Amino acid sequence: MRKVLPTLAVAVLLATAGCAGSDAGSSGPIVVGSVNALSGAATFPESSQAAKAVFDAANAAGGVNGRRIEYKAIDDKGDPSAAAAAAREVVGGDSAVALVGSSSLIECEINEKYYEQQKILSMPGIGVDPACFSSPNIAPVNVGPFHDMTLTLLYGSEVLKLDDVCALLEIAGNTLPAYQAAIDEWTKITGKKLKYVDSTVPYGGSDYTPYIVKARAAGCKAITVNPVEPDSIGQLKAAQAQGWTDVTWLLLTSVYSENYAKAISNAGAGVYVPAEFSPFTDAAAPANQEWRDLMAKNKIPLTSFSQGGYLAAKYFLAVLRGMKGDITRETVTKALREMKPISDPMVGTPYVFGPAQAHHDNTAGWPIKLATGTNKWELSARDWLRIPRS
Amino acid sequence: MLQGALAGLAAGGLYAVLAVCLTLMSRLVRVVNFAQSATGMFGCYVAVFLAVHLGFPEWLATLAGILLGGALSAVLGWIVSTWLAEADTGTRSAVTVAVLLLLISLAFILFGNKPQPFHPLLAGPAFTVGGVVVSQVTVVTVALAVLVALGCRAVLARTSLGVRLRALSERPTTAELLGIPARPLSVGVWTATGVIATLAVSIVAPSQSNDPTSLAMLVVPAAAAALLGGFRRLDLAVAGGLVLGMAQGAVAQADKLSVLRYFLPFLVIVALLLWTQRKEVWDAAR
Repeated sequence: MRKVLPTLAVAVLLATAGCAGSDAGSSGPIVVGSVNALSGAATFPESSQAAKAVFDAANAAGGVNGRRIEYKAIDDKGDPSAAAAAAREVVGGDSAVALVGSSSLIECEINEKYYEQQKILSMPGIGVDPACFSSPNIAPVNVGPFHDMTLTLLYGSEVLKLDDVCALLEIAGNTLPAYQAAIDEWTKITGKKLKYVDSTVPYGGSDYTPYIVKARAAGCKAITVNPVEPDSIGQLKAAQAQGWTDVTWLLLTSVYSENYAKAISNAGAGVYVPAEFSPFTDAAAPANQEWRDLMAKNKIPLTSFSQGGYLAAKYFLAVLRGMKGDITRETVTKALREMKPISDPMVGTPYVFGPAQAHHDNTAGWPIKLATGTNKWELSARDWLRIPRS
Repeated sequence: MLQGALAGLAAGGLYAVLAVCLTLMSRLVRVVNFAQSATGMFGCYVAVFLAVHLGFPEWLATLAGILLGGALSAVLGWIVSTWLAEADTGTRSAVTVAVLLLLISLAFILFGNKPQPFHPLLAGPAFTVGGVVVSQVTVVTVALAVLVALGCRAVLARTSLGVRLRALSERPTTAELLGIPARPLSVGVWTATGVIATLAVSIVAPSQSNDPTSLAMLVVPAAAAALLGGFRRLDLAVAGGLVLGMAQGAVAQADKLSVLRYFLPFLVIVALLLWTQRKEVWDAAR
């Protein structure tokens, strides 16, 4: 046994050295990772599925400079410790060159410092928590809930000309200052103020009637909320049970799904949402054609999440293909920092990673609406609605 | 405040119905059924599945869901009264916790974690009092709670079935030796409460957010309400449910108190336990 152990140790050392050698070289696969909510209470598997579909198609067409892309989508289960472990597995263990197409409720906040230490960049398909939009190493593809809130308020007050707009905010963790900043931005642009803000509305509440009654008594004509689907359904039903049918709902992309439309038959004076990507429910949109075909081929649901993952992978491939020389974490990070903005008809704002300390540059949404009794999303604008640059 | 209290009445009605079911179970079959609202939730989810994916008419799907809720409860009752007939209340109740968790997981596995398109059985306001809207759901759940409590009381006090049930709950062994069929009667009680709970959840679920966990966890405020009647008195269980719902509604009206809303059932449980234990000496109470 004593003789075996050193031999084994030498063998292991040789093997790991061999592996490390092949990783750093220019012939092995390029490892790309992502951290996602694939299981747990709220899941978004479509983003990484879509990114994988893009990479699979690229591999089938010969890869990047003859190298395959090996895509690893790790589950964070919506759990902070699992999110930290997932990032370490893919960044430390698998030596990924970048993270692409992640979508998680908590991942950015948990891992931003680790990404800075490891000098790795992340391009989430869908960024949700405030840290996704305030870290130098993370640049999500999507608009995000905060700019979404400014956009939905702008549409309500400037296009629909609604007065007496109120806000019901569901606050999880440290998101209140970010939503407040989004509302303040709207105030700065329009000079208008919200009639009433209730930031005590709980996530996953069972009965929202008391909050609805309170908002109605306050004289709200329109309400902006940052809900997840089940909560929004509960709120609309509570309003319906109260006979409050003339209230307009200014909601976020978080409720933009076929499923939500089916569940809502009485939408009051209408549900308005700024779609973060070219509206996927519009089958005729040429901007979405390529994405739609790829998703259909891979049997991936048509959602905003799959749009985000698809675009993240597409942008990343474009940067990778423009690189000369070795593809390593250092060179990829450098290339993303120095990339030129990429425009795509699926979004209203060009994407660029760049050297900024915060990445919150996507400022365009496409207004869509859900009317009472239709159970279908309709376009309510012909072009992107943009937050004016101040 | 009054507005808020009335707004909380629909939830209060639901708590009251579930509290009545819990009280009946505790009195008649010696169990605190933690799966009470979970069986109701599961019945509702199956009803939605039948209506949406298999094209059943709404009424038939709802009826099937309610029957399924009763059947699930009956199976659970049969298991408990067969294998745990001699066990104490704690052990019998512990089994229902396992069923609660099982049903929540099963609902996620079978129906996913996206919201279901529940079709409302009742929608819209019933009437307005001084500018406060009372919804149809509120009227029906409160009426259901009161009717179920009165009905159960009448059955227990005035019918021979009631006498047998009471005998069984007071002196199970003596009753069985006298020839009272223990197991069928127990399973009957489980079935009835399963049906009532599923009916109540079916009425309320379409009017609120309805993921499996929040529907199954309605058992917590219901238990707080049942505790007011010491899991013995039906009238206090109804009152407890209604008051708890109204208090939650009222508390939500004040921004500073709003955060209390979801802790209220737990606060009520702790307060009632302390109150009922107030005369115990330390050694006996712990």
